[in-house]
Formats: sequence, structure tokens, C-alpha cells
Amino acid sequence: MNPLEVRNLHFDYGKNPILRGVNLELGAGEIVCVFGPNGCGKTTLIECVLGLKKSHTGEILLSGQRLSELKIDEIARKIALVPQNHQHTFGYTVLEMVLMGRTASTGIFRSPGNEDIAIAEAALNQVGMLSFKERSINQLSGGETQLVMLARALAQKTSVIVFDEPTSHLDFRHELNVIKYMCRLVREQGMSFLMTTHFPNQALYIENQGIPTRVALMEHGVIYAQGSASQTLSEENMRRIFKIKTKVYHNMLEGQKHTYMMPLGFSNGGQWNEAENINFTTHTDADTDKLHEFADSDGEPDTPDRL
Amino acid sequence: MFKAKHHNRILYISLIIMPFLIVFISLFIGRYHLGLKEVLEILSAGIGSASQSIVHTVVWEVRMPRALMALAVGGALAVSGGALQGVFRNPLVDSGMLGVSAGAGFGACLAILLFGNGPMTYIFAFIFGILAVSLSVMVGKIYKSAPTVTLVLGGVIIKSIFSALISFSKYAADPNEQLPAITFWLMGSLARANYGDLLIALIPICIGVGGIFLLRWRINLLPIGEKDAQALGVNTSLCRIVLIICTTLATAGAVCMSGTIDWIGLIIPHISRMLVGNDNRKLLPVSCSLGACFLLLVDNLGRTISSAEIPIGVLTALIGGPFYIYLLGHSKGGNSW
Repeated sequence: MNPLEVRNLHFDYGKNPILRGVNLELGAGEIVCVFGPNGCGKTTLIECVLGLKKSHTGEILLSGQRLSELKIDEIARKIALVPQNHQHTFGYTVLEMVLMGRTASTGIFRSPGNEDIAIAEAALNQVGMLSFKERSINQLSGGETQLVMLARALAQKTSVIVFDEPTSHLDFRHELNVIKYMCRLVREQGMSFLMTTHFPNQALYIENQGIPTRVALMEHGVIYAQGSASQTLSEENMRRIFKIKTKVYHNMLEGQKHTYMMPLGFSNGGQWNEAENINFTTHTDADTDKLHEFADSDGEPDTPDRL
Repeated sequence: MFKAKHHNRILYISLIIMPFLIVFISLFIGRYHLGLKEVLEILSAGIGSASQSIVHTVVWEVRMPRALMALAVGGALAVSGGALQGVFRNPLVDSGMLGVSAGAGFGACLAILLFGNGPMTYIFAFIFGILAVSLSVMVGKIYKSAPTVTLVLGGVIIKSIFSALISFSKYAADPNEQLPAITFWLMGSLARANYGDLLIALIPICIGVGGIFLLRWRINLLPIGEKDAQALGVNTSLCRIVLIICTTLATAGAVCMSGTIDWIGLIIPHISRMLVGNDNRKLLPVSCSLGACFLLLVDNLGRTISSAEIPIGVLTALIGGPFYIYLLGHSKGGNSW
């Protein structure tokens, strides 16, 4: 039984459809990267999966149980979130922050006890942040904060963790650090991660590390293509979805195979042409139809959510 | 590490003992001079003792209920303020944020205008305090997208409406009898405290403060962001509304007896944040103790420094403001918020 399954998920804001039939599976010990342009519905998808948006149609199953039949604290014991960034308000200590991960397992009128503190400290230890436990969260760097957020999700003791662009504002080293910890958790503990990202090389890097990695390429509220990172993040798919020309390289470096992608320019010959610029945030059915035609002409299957 | 824990234990023990100590000291303070021996004798004789001497009346019927009322009001206001700061993720919020004090003030004015200065004042103050918060919450629900911002906006609107109504009732009041009563009520006073009032006030205060204490861990999660808190398993909107009800009960119970007392709900939680950090499990009990002690000390001061009593609302602001500025200058900063 998969830790997470999404079947034919639809979501709209009134007349504005955001998700139009998303199908997604997340297996145990696997990372699924949802990749796509701004406004394609990535964030809505993960909000639905976390039970934060209720008015969707279709089915979401957490370890075989329907999300719609679970209470908010039951959901939080099955799936956790590492947010994009943390809102700084009150300067809680790092340990207090991670203890919040134990809330769903604590009675509504109770506070976390010694056992929960032990779990929180173990989670901090797993991401190498135990020595920071008495520090104020407001005094940490972005990378350190993100590791604390990861520890908080680990303290929830769920089988699935959702990452919403986990490294979007981190420097080069901290980005690598967070990704390394993620790889280690999947490899050593068989956890399952669903992450959204804007960086194709992030998914390719994880795959290079030998982690089962699938990329779900999202466009206009559907999954346009799905498969292993190196299959899906192809030059052809980048040209279709982002209208950019890219080159994928395979190299052997330090005894390991590395696949990575390099952007070369816009696919219409190097200029950012307003007329050809696809409108990422709003779209019409005509746009999607055009996309389908495009797919048909290349002999691709015309159901855009499958590959 | 060990040192810090040790230091904390001393802090907590002194916070528990301090209110009782200050109540005991308060029994000596006032125009009627009492010696240690007299007070101890009267205290050991108990409240129900047959002696109806002046000393007995001063200790048991005047100073004791007033001191206990100060503890209850100060504690309730400080805890409500601290909890609401979490609910609104804003350290500048105080217990009157949603208009409970302004509503209670107008209720009291109306009762004084209609029935004169009597027990109806408490009832009207309490009812209008709760009414004002209900209106603020209703205004806050007009826009669904940003619940906390519109709630704050609702509070500001309702507060200004009730302030205008207070001004109007002052204008309409009879300047010889009603106006002084209104003015005095609005400045806050514990002078009329007695056991009957105290017991009545304690009902909403205990329900409210009790509810806040039960939810103290969940309050920690409200400021970290709606999505995060929900993903951690907290029903944020339910939690918020329960906390608003609890803080309203506690604050309305307090201000209907004491009149408007500002500042306690703002500065006491702040001082507590500087002492023990932002974890509501520690912050709220510490705020409760400090709020109780602070109001009692200020009340003692108010009834001794001049021959006429100085309204307590005036003193809390006059002492609280500069004291707070002093603390801001001496705190290490960064850690509190």
C-alpha cells in the first residue's frame, strides 16, 4: 500500500480551475518532485494533500485511508510539512519549535511531556542541530531554520513529509546540506517525500545519489509527464513547458555518474519574446488545447497527465 | 545549563510566593495604622470571629477583599493579554484588543445613566463587554481571506464606536452626580471591593483563565502561520474562537468590577517574555503572577501616596509606561520577539 495516492484530483477557485484531474502515487522510500512553472498548481496540490484545502473532488489516500475521513490531528500523524519559509514572530527556542511537531500526538488540553522532548531532541540530532536547541529561532540563518523545520516534521513521526520548495532561499552550501539530509532519511529510514521545486538539477542530483526519484511535470493543473528524473526532465519537455532550450549532460565524476541540465536560451532563438511568452498565471482552455495539439503532433499520448 | 535551571526554579518559587507576600504586606498599608501583632492576631482569629472591632473590619472587610480583587483582576488581565498576543501573532495586542474594555465602559455609563451608581453597573458592564467582542468578531468575519487582520480591524472599529458612545453618555449625564460616577468608573478603582463582588467576578475569571491555561500549548502554534499550525494538527479557527471567548470572559469579569485598567494586558506579558521566553506554558503562569502582584502594588500606592485616592487606571499607565521603557533599554533584545 502506498503511503500517498492522489486520484483524479480536481480543485477550483469558483470558475478558475487550478487542478484538473491530478493522479500521483508516492511509494515507500521514494522522492517525488513536482516540477512546473509558477501558477501551475503545485502549491494547491500539496495543500490538498495536507488536508488544508477541503473543497476538492477526487480521492486522496494516506496509507490507504481516505483523507476526507480523517480528523486534522489524524492527518498530522500521517503527513508532515516542511514549509517554504518560517514566519518570524515570537522567538521560540529551537527545541520549542521542534516540540510543536508533537502537538498532534498530544491531547488538546495537554502539553508535550518528557517523552516528546526526547523525540524532539532525537529529531534535532538527526539533522545535526541538537547543539542549537536553546537558541532562539529568530537568530538562526535560513539554512539552519530549514533544518529545524525538517526536525519538526520528523518529530511528527509520519511516513510522508511534504516539502514546499524547501531550498528556495538558501545559499549553495545550505541547499546541498538540506538535500543531503533528505537523501539520507529516504535511504536509511525508508521515508517518502513529496517535494515541489523550481530547480531541475535538484531532482537530478537526488537521482544521481541513487535515491528512487520520480518527477511529476505539472502544467496548467495536470501532470503532463511523469517518470524518473532523467527521463522526464528532457530537453524536449523543457522546450514544451518553459519554452527554453536546454542541454542535458551525463558525466562520470569521482567514480559516480552525474546527470545535469544546462539552460542555453529561449527556444525561439534567444530573445524573450512577449508574444511567445506563455502566460503562467492565467490560462484558458484554448491554451491547454494548443498544448494537447503540440503533444499529438509529436506522437505523444494525448492524455496529458500520463507518460 | 544547570545554573540556568536552578535560576529558573528560584524564579518560579518566588513567583508563587510573591502574591501572598504582597497581600500580607497590603494589610498594613493605609491610613489606619496597624502593627504586626494586631494584624497577626486578627488573621489568626479568622474572618468569622465574633470581635467586630475596627481592626477586624479594616483587615477582613476592607483591605483583604480589595487585595484579593486586585490579584484576580491583575492576573486575569495579564493572562488574557498574553493569550491574545498569541492569537493575533502580534506582541502589541492587549486584553482590550477586541473592544471588551470600551464595551464594558459604555455598559457602565448606560447603567449609571439609567439606574444610578449601583449593582446594575457590573451587570451592564459585563454584558456590553461581551457584546462589543461579539460585534468585533462579526465584523472580522465579513472578509474571509485574512481572519486575523480583519479581526483586528473589527476590534478597532467597534472600540471607536463604543468610545464615541461613552463620550455621548458623558455629554448627556447629569454633571453633579452621574458624570463624576462615570468618570471615576472609567479611570478604574478597586475601592468598592467586597467578598460578594469578588466571588461573582471570580466565576467568569476562573472559567476564562482556566480555559486559557488548558489551551496554553496550542496557543504556541497560533503565531507560526495558519498553514504550518494546521499541518501540525491544530484546528486554528476553533482554537482562536475558544481563546477569544475565554479571554473575553476573563477580561469582562475583571473590568466590570474594577473599571477600565489599561496597560496590564500589554506590559506584563512583555516583562514575562523577557523573563522566561515565549513558550506559553511558562509565559501565562508567570504573567498571571506578575499581573496580580503589579496591580496590587499599584493599588497600594494609589491609596497611600495622597490623601485622596488616585484612580488605579491612571497609575498603571504612569508607572507602567516608564518602567516598560526602562526594561526595553535593559533587555538583551532579539530573544523576546
